[in-house]
Amino acid sequence: MTVRARYIRDGVMRSLLIASTLFIVVPLLIIISYVLINGIGALNWNFFTVELGSPARAMQGRPTGLAHSIVGTVIIDLMALAFAAPVGIAAGIMLSEYPDNPINPPLRVLSSTLNGMPAILMGLLAFALVVRPFGGFSAVSGSVALAFVMFPIIARSVESVLRTTPWSLREVGLALGLPRWRVIISTVLPAAKTGILTGVLIAFARAAGEAAPLLFTSFGQNYMNLDPGRAMDTLPQRLYSLAISPYREWHAMGWAAAIVLLVFVMTCFFVARLVAGRFGTRADG
Amino acid sequence: MKTNRQRALRTAGFSVLGLAFVLALGLTATGTQLFAGGSAEGNPARAAGVALEGAGASFPAPLITAMADEYRDYTGGRITVNYQSIGSGGGIRQFIEQTIMFGATERYLSDEQVAEIEASTGGTAFNMPITLGSVAPTYNIPGVDTGLVFTGEVLVDMYRGEITHWNDPRIVELNPGVDLPAVPVQIVHRSDGSGTTNVWTDYFSKVSGWWADNVGFGTSVDWPRGTGANGNEGVAGVVQTTPGALGYNSLVYATLNDIPYGAVINSSGETILPDLPTTSAAANIDLPADTRVSITDTPAADGYPIASFAWVMVYERLDANSAIETREQAEELVRFLYWTITDGQELSEPLDFARLPQAAVDRATDMLRRLTWNGEAVGAEVIAAIAQR
Repeated sequence: MTVRARYIRDGVMRSLLIASTLFIVVPLLIIISYVLINGIGALNWNFFTVELGSPARAMQGRPTGLAHSIVGTVIIDLMALAFAAPVGIAAGIMLSEYPDNPINPPLRVLSSTLNGMPAILMGLLAFALVVRPFGGFSAVSGSVALAFVMFPIIARSVESVLRTTPWSLREVGLALGLPRWRVIISTVLPAAKTGILTGVLIAFARAAGEAAPLLFTSFGQNYMNLDPGRAMDTLPQRLYSLAISPYREWHAMGWAAAIVLLVFVMTCFFVARLVAGRFGTRADG
Repeated sequence: MKTNRQRALRTAGFSVLGLAFVLALGLTATGTQLFAGGSAEGNPARAAGVALEGAGASFPAPLITAMADEYRDYTGGRITVNYQSIGSGGGIRQFIEQTIMFGATERYLSDEQVAEIEASTGGTAFNMPITLGSVAPTYNIPGVDTGLVFTGEVLVDMYRGEITHWNDPRIVELNPGVDLPAVPVQIVHRSDGSGTTNVWTDYFSKVSGWWADNVGFGTSVDWPRGTGANGNEGVAGVVQTTPGALGYNSLVYATLNDIPYGAVINSSGETILPDLPTTSAAANIDLPADTRVSITDTPAADGYPIASFAWVMVYERLDANSAIETREQAEELVRFLYWTITDGQELSEPLDFARLPQAAVDRATDMLRRLTWNGEAVGAEVIAAIAQR
């Protein structure tokens, strides 16, 4: 092949790659700017400080906002993370570091089943496991539903990250006579922590945008509530109910809620990258 | 060799994991404790305020949530009522599942449902009227505004395909002076289960033997023809974008969104445009004690014929509902519900809701008086105490 032909082929491949990147990025930018254009007008101080209340408030021009939904989202998502992260990381370690353990085949089936399940079924699961036995909708049941969404994502990413850490790391520890669990904690996990953190944050961001699992678990709330034993509001679910409501003012608030949710999720990713970058350089040095 | 940095890193990793574990355990413990209900009396922060949970029909949701807003101010922020609009079907379902303290529905509980509740809880379930609603025929005919006149028979024949064009002689005869174009009728109906559909088809079944025999009524039916759309907003959307469309919407929805709607000739031969007084008037009939009655095709001469109550559902034995944990909650629920049918009714007109007629308020009060908590007549006590004030 001549050099000229190689240049041509290089050019073709390069433009194909650029085209496919644009194909992904442009619609994303369109969606984000569309949300911004529609919602920016409804973003004001009240939006972050006042509770929703009845639609009459919006129609009569009285202050109304989504303070309770923002607070609820943070509480429910963090509780879900607290449920799912330890279990998910433990499952990932199990699958990667103890491949022969008899617990693994069922664990793998469970994890991939959960991963393929539609999110609304997680809600149904949490409804049957938590809401019905305790006789009422609650933030905790919403967190359990979201934890089911997070768990398989965390378990899978932890497993694949651990698999990519070099065997020599483990061999060093084992050669020094350390037990296996000690090797995992002292050498494997620290080496893989950036990847683990990324996986956890991806799971977190994915669950933060879910509305379906929360419909019949955390249920929705029109007022501020910090009690995890009672119904609580979340942004994705409130966004949905605002969007299908008959009120123009609520539609505008729905767009604004979409902006806040987008910023929330994007901040998670940004912080994750920042933290990961820092730890990464330190480990190298 | 371990450097200090490595050690620090490992400790950091450890503590993150540890923290997550502790957090998870702590939260689970708190959650369980709260669920158990044990902390309800013990925790002063919770005892200070009472939270009531309800859910159901979307039609009365603007009124009930506005009542909740007003009641919270009225009680100085002590009582919070959280009402979520999930539809009549969802409201009945969650009421039977006992995940909410009260439900709301546009379709009263069936005899079977009441019988099941009586068998399982040892008390009945009340359907307490809270407000009234009308369903209006909405249309999109070029050049025709609100006020086109229909009869029940004409509406049925349009929905079953006997009348196919807007300039059909039977429509022209009802509307002298209106220039009706030769546009085909495009039927729109709800695709989701809906209390609005129940009212609409209940009326159809009363005015047409054919409809009663072949289609019947319910929250969703097997439509002879037409396009399905999801929710009030879906039907409104299709009607507004389809010339020649005929659909049906809650009156509040039609007026709120400026959709043209028609008048219907009632059983007394009067042409009635749906509005608040004609909706209230439709309920001005002999009400049975349990108010489980359809008021479509009302015998009231000044009543709009496609109207219905919206009901709040409560268990007679409040203690039998697992969503209600304490006597205090039960008392506050009675107090709130009594307020909604008395002072709370003042909120109706400004929000485009029809006020309950006195007969319905009386029936509702009788129901609240019968509510009990572990055999004690909580309802009667609360209402007597309010009356003494």
